[in-house]
Amino acid sequence: MSDVNIIQLVDVEKSFGSFTAVSNLSLDLKQGEFFSLLGPSGCGKTTALRMIAGFQDPTRGRILIDGQNMEDVPANRRPTNMVFQSYAIFPHLNVGDNVSYGLRHRGIARAEIDARVSEALAMVELGGLQKRRATELSGGQRQRVALARALVMRPKVLLLDEPLSALDKKLREQMQFEMRHLQRSLGITFVMVTHDQYEAMTMSDRIGVMFKGRLVQVDAPAVLYARPRNREVASFIGEMNFLAAEVIGEDAGTLTVKTPCFAPLKIARNPNAVGYGNHILTGIRPEQLAIGRAAPEGYDATVEGQVGDVAFYGENVHYHVRVPGVDRPMAVSVPNYFHTVDYARGDKVWLGVQGASVIDLGSEDTEI
Amino acid sequence: MTRPSGLTIYAMLYLAFLYLPVLVLPLFSFNDGTIVAFPIKGWTLDWYRQLGAQETLLSALGNSLIVGLISAMLATSMGLFAARAYVRYRFRGKEASEGLVMLPLVVPGIIVASSMLVLFISLGLKPSLTAVILGHTFLALPFSVSIMKSAFDDFDVSLEEAAFDLGSSAVEAFRRVTLPIVAPGIVSSLLVTFTVSFDEFVLAFFLSGNDPTLPVYIWSQIRFPAKLPNTLALGSLLLLASILLLVVAEYFRRRSSKSTM
Repeated sequence: MSDVNIIQLVDVEKSFGSFTAVSNLSLDLKQGEFFSLLGPSGCGKTTALRMIAGFQDPTRGRILIDGQNMEDVPANRRPTNMVFQSYAIFPHLNVGDNVSYGLRHRGIARAEIDARVSEALAMVELGGLQKRRATELSGGQRQRVALARALVMRPKVLLLDEPLSALDKKLREQMQFEMRHLQRSLGITFVMVTHDQYEAMTMSDRIGVMFKGRLVQVDAPAVLYARPRNREVASFIGEMNFLAAEVIGEDAGTLTVKTPCFAPLKIARNPNAVGYGNHILTGIRPEQLAIGRAAPEGYDATVEGQVGDVAFYGENVHYHVRVPGVDRPMAVSVPNYFHTVDYARGDKVWLGVQGASVIDLGSEDTEI
Repeated sequence: MTRPSGLTIYAMLYLAFLYLPVLVLPLFSFNDGTIVAFPIKGWTLDWYRQLGAQETLLSALGNSLIVGLISAMLATSMGLFAARAYVRYRFRGKEASEGLVMLPLVVPGIIVASSMLVLFISLGLKPSLTAVILGHTFLALPFSVSIMKSAFDDFDVSLEEAAFDLGSSAVEAFRRVTLPIVAPGIVSSLLVTFTVSFDEFVLAFFLSGNDPTLPVYIWSQIRFPAKLPNTLALGSLLLLASILLLVVAEYFRRRSSKSTM
């Protein structure tokens, strides 16, 4: 990854009639990074990707690829290639002809085309399958052919529209690693659109989270998880226990907050959150809560509660614990490794929390 | 053994009523006698043999082939583009335009034929094969549009986008991706529209003038009892050809919906 901006979106807006699909989208993507646009369906992420590809024109704003303004440059002359959600493998052509589609009729020598096709197919581990008919491919193979067909063009940017959504879970996880590996070794910028937070987190250098046509937060996966900007982002990425809190003290980097169930806690200010007042929203990830039959020692605050639902996930167990003063039960995730004590529904338990693991989510009513 | 239900018997009678007369036609074409009545006198292939020697018949056949081929090509090319637009885009007047295209299916042939005759003559176009071709293209268009619409229904739009994304111009994408994928639909449409034109009588009767098409020729021959067995033989051949064409057309239509993934 370098510091060169390969794609720049400047105040891009797209409306369909009175509906605004994307508004005020400004974003710089670095050469060689794996970037994901993450959001629920209908949030405008696919429209944004299609504008970069050139299938849709922005209503307002500019798109630059490698410093060049893309206004009036149609999709067939942009240095981008796309992997479609349906893969769009040409059914009347075999694998080799699918992959060589973009190279033929361009004055490139047959021998070079063949060499590049073999190279691209080897890259996606489909070496030697040139003659296989498109209709005889499995879902995973179709995805690989779509990747090879785009990569053989040596694009500056590869655009991926929900590339893994058509695959089953096992294959999806395998492809996540393979695509990430491919992207690293080629050094090409990948821009992926997905609604799957795990997919975005495992593959991306940075993630842009979109809601209702707006880009709400752009950060590395770990930052996005630890310092989400507001309730929307916090609840879309992973699980989160939300607690309303009153600010009773503050200094340069910290806030002292009073939540309904815990003694006052000193928490870090979240540089991503905006809008401070007397009342803020705080969040605690389920794995940051300690649980025990007695009050856990060494924690900044503890509270006694009662176990409600128990969900077994294999690698960890989720307990929903009711605590006084909070409407919704608190989710507590315990790794199975430490899972020496079983709690059953109705058991009295204690929860412990560190101030450092409580996340400041800013004012809840702040419009971003 | 279960007794056939009332519904089964009804269906049998219904099919017999529809198709028995059609089967009688080929049967009598092998009859060694000029009177179309049972009992069959004997079996002969003479009526078929005589067909090859009749010049007016051959020229009528030639006319029908020309008219059929040209109308099929005109209707199919128009249907191809119209169907793509109907399936792919939303535009003002889409419903009205689709309704208009389908109109020939419900308007009585005699009305279409007489109004076309009046229109063509007022435009200075005398009854001729050209006039028949125009009329048949109009009649065949709804068939072509429906067949091509079903071909485009199964067509994934991102295939064209992918071609475009890989550097093709819109025309090249259409030629290298769209056309080959909907090709079975095109073949099916060509066969069906050809059959529509080849079998059509009323319009051809009004518009063909001195160049009769085959159905018009057959009608003229039916008036001479001596020629009836020849006509039956000819009719049987046409029936066979039509069935074959439609079976092949159906095969291609099914292949077109299967090949698009």
